[in-house]
Amino acid sequence: MDAEEILRGIKPLVGEVTAIRTVQETCPCEDYADAYVTEVNVKCASKVIKVLDSSFPRDSAQPLSHLRRFAKHNQVPEYLRPVLLREGSSPAQTIFVLISPPLPDIDSLQNVLSPFAPPGTPAGDQLAFHTVRVPLQPPLTTIQADAWSQTMWPVVFNPSAPRAMIAPPPQILSRARDFIQPKAGRYLALAQRVAEEAEQSGLGRGVGAVVVDPDLEAQFDDEETDNHWSDAVVAVAGDGRYSRAAVSEPGPNPASQTYNPDHEGGPELHALMRVVELISSKRREDRPGSSSTGRPCLNHLETYFLSQSDVTCSDDDSEDPSPVPEKYQKTETSSHAIHKHPEPAEDDTPTTARIRPRSQGGYLCTDLDVYLTHEPCICCCMGLLLSRFRAVIYPRSGRMVSGGLASEPVVKPVPVEEETSATENQDPKTDDTQHQREYYGLHWRKELNWRALGFEFVEETEAETETKEATETVAFHA
Amino acid sequence: MSDNISSGLQEGGPQHAYFMKQALRMGEKALETGETPVGCILVYENKIVGSGMNDTNKSMNGTRHAEFIAIEEMLQTYPRSALYSTDLYVTVEPCVMCASALRQYRIRKVYFGCGNERFGGTGSILSLHSDPSLDPPYPVQGGLFHQEAIMLLRRFYIQENEKAPKPRPKKHRELKMDFNKEVSLPSPTP
Repeated sequence: MDAEEILRGIKPLVGEVTAIRTVQETCPCEDYADAYVTEVNVKCASKVIKVLDSSFPRDSAQPLSHLRRFAKHNQVPEYLRPVLLREGSSPAQTIFVLISPPLPDIDSLQNVLSPFAPPGTPAGDQLAFHTVRVPLQPPLTTIQADAWSQTMWPVVFNPSAPRAMIAPPPQILSRARDFIQPKAGRYLALAQRVAEEAEQSGLGRGVGAVVVDPDLEAQFDDEETDNHWSDAVVAVAGDGRYSRAAVSEPGPNPASQTYNPDHEGGPELHALMRVVELISSKRREDRPGSSSTGRPCLNHLETYFLSQSDVTCSDDDSEDPSPVPEKYQKTETSSHAIHKHPEPAEDDTPTTARIRPRSQGGYLCTDLDVYLTHEPCICCCMGLLLSRFRAVIYPRSGRMVSGGLASEPVVKPVPVEEETSATENQDPKTDDTQHQREYYGLHWRKELNWRALGFEFVEETEAETETKEATETVAFHA
Repeated sequence: MSDNISSGLQEGGPQHAYFMKQALRMGEKALETGETPVGCILVYENKIVGSGMNDTNKSMNGTRHAEFIAIEEMLQTYPRSALYSTDLYVTVEPCVMCASALRQYRIRKVYFGCGNERFGGTGSILSLHSDPSLDPPYPVQGGLFHQEAIMLLRRFYIQENEKAPKPRPKKHRELKMDFNKEVSLPSPTP
C-alpha cells in the first residue's frame, strides 16, 4: 500500500494518557531515626539554634529541613504531652527543641544547652532529653505530613522543593500530559503500523517506535491536525532483531513464536535503539567520515519518511497535498547515501531540518518524545535516558514482563457483576499475577543522572483486548 | 600503582591482568579522541574477539558505549551463541543499559575496574546481572586495576565538554591523585 495512504488511513487509538508513577512514589522509603527533645527557655530560642548548629554540624546529605526545630506547647504531639509537659511549665516561658540525627552524646548536649534551661531551673539541674522517632525523608503529601506530626514530631510539607528527586514537578508533568494527550493516539497507531511492517518483513518482532519533536508539533494549530499530524514525526523505526540472520521468507519470522536467545539479535536492533541511531546518523551528517554503524535495511515506512524528504528536494512541490511537508529532511543512512541538496522552497516557510544537525545545535535526542508499541526493555529504557528524550509513551496493553518503566502492577477494576462474591473483592486483582516481574520505573529514579517523563496510554477498549493479549504473548525484550 | 597490577595478578592470574590492560588501552584511546574514557574487550577461547571504546560524541548517539561497539565487532565474525562463552573486561562497571544488554546477550562473566556510582547496573545502582529476568544471571568481579580506571576518568572529567549545549567552565579543577578515601566518581557512562 502507498505510504501516504497508510498515513491517511491511520485510525488513532482512543484513550487516556496517564503518568507512570515513580518508584519513589510507589515504594516510598520510609526511614526513621531517633532524635532528642528537650525543653528550653523560649526567649533563647534563636541562641539555641545557633549554638546547636555550630557545635554539631548537620549532615548536608540529610538536611532534614522538613522537621520543625521547635514545638510550642500546643504543637507537641498528643502522645508526648504526658512526657514533656511538666507541671508549672508555661508556653510563655518555654519551648521544646528537637536535636535531630546524627545525635551528639548527651554530655556535650548538656554542656551546650544548660545556659538555656527553662527559667527557674535550679542551678546544677540536668536538662532532660527525651527520645522521639522522626522521619528522615520529607513528607510526600499533606496527609503524610499530618500523620507524622501527630505520631512523631511536627513536620512541614513543602510541595515543591524536595520532590524533584522523587517525582517530576507536578506542573511540568501535567503540562506535558495535556500537550501529549490530543495526538498520542495517532502516534501510537502509527507506531503500530511500523511494528506491523517490521513483523511482516520477517526482520523483526512487531515492535515500533515513533519519535516526535514537540517544538514542531506546537507550530501547527488544532485545525491542521488532521492533515499535518505527521509533520512533527522526526523518525520512525521498527524492530530489526532478525536482520542479522539470512533473510527468511516474507511474513512473520518463525523465531518470534518463542524466545530463543540465538535468534534475538540484540538490544541495538530493538525499535528504540534503531530510531535513536537513525536520528544520530542525521545529526552527524555534517561531519564527513564520522562513524556510520551498520544498520539493517530499512522498512517501508522508515524508508518512506526518509525518501519523502528526497522528493521535497525537487522543485515539484506544487499541488501534492502530501501529509508529509516539504520541510521534512531526509535522514541519510548507509543504504541511502545519495544526497541531493534541497532547493529552498519559495512558497513555503523556510526549510528547517526536522532533525537538526550537530552544527545547528542538534544534540542526541534532547527534548524529543518517543512513542512505542511496547514497554521497552531495561536496556532500551536506559538508552532513552542516555539519549535525553523528554518523554516516553507506550500503551498499557503493551506492558512487558521484561520492561523497565512500569513502577507498579495494574490494579484491575473489579467487574460489577462479580461484586456479590465477597472474596474476589477483598484484594485488588493485579494484571501481572501470572508473570512475576520487577518494577524498575527507570524513567524517573533518584539515583540516575538523567530522567524522562513516563506515560502509559490506557485504551478505552482495554478491558476487551486484555485477556487476548495475556494468553498470546511470548515474553521477550521489546 | 604497581600495587594494583600485582593485585590484579593475584585476583585472577596473569591473563586477567593482560586482558584488563588491553581494556585500559582502549580507554586511553577514547581519552585521546575526546570520548568518555571507557574501554573494553571481549575474550572468547582466550582470544580477544572484540574491543570497544565509548563513541557517543563522535556518533552523536548516547547509546554507543564501549560494550556495544565490542559486541558489534565480535558479531561480524562469530555467531551470537559464542557470547555465551565469552568474558568481558571493561574499565568501568557497565551502566544500566549495558548491564541489561550483556544479560540479554548472555555474557559468561564480566570483569571491571572501578564502580560506577551514577549509572552502574551490576551492583552500584541496580543489580541487573542477578535480578530476575528472562535470561540467566552472570557473575561480575570488580576492582581489577581499580586505580588506573579511576585515573582515566579523572583525567577526562577535568576537561570541559565543549559538545554540551552549555559547557561548564572547569578552570579551577585539579587532577586528584589520592586514593586514600573512597572517591566519589563523576558521572561515567560506559
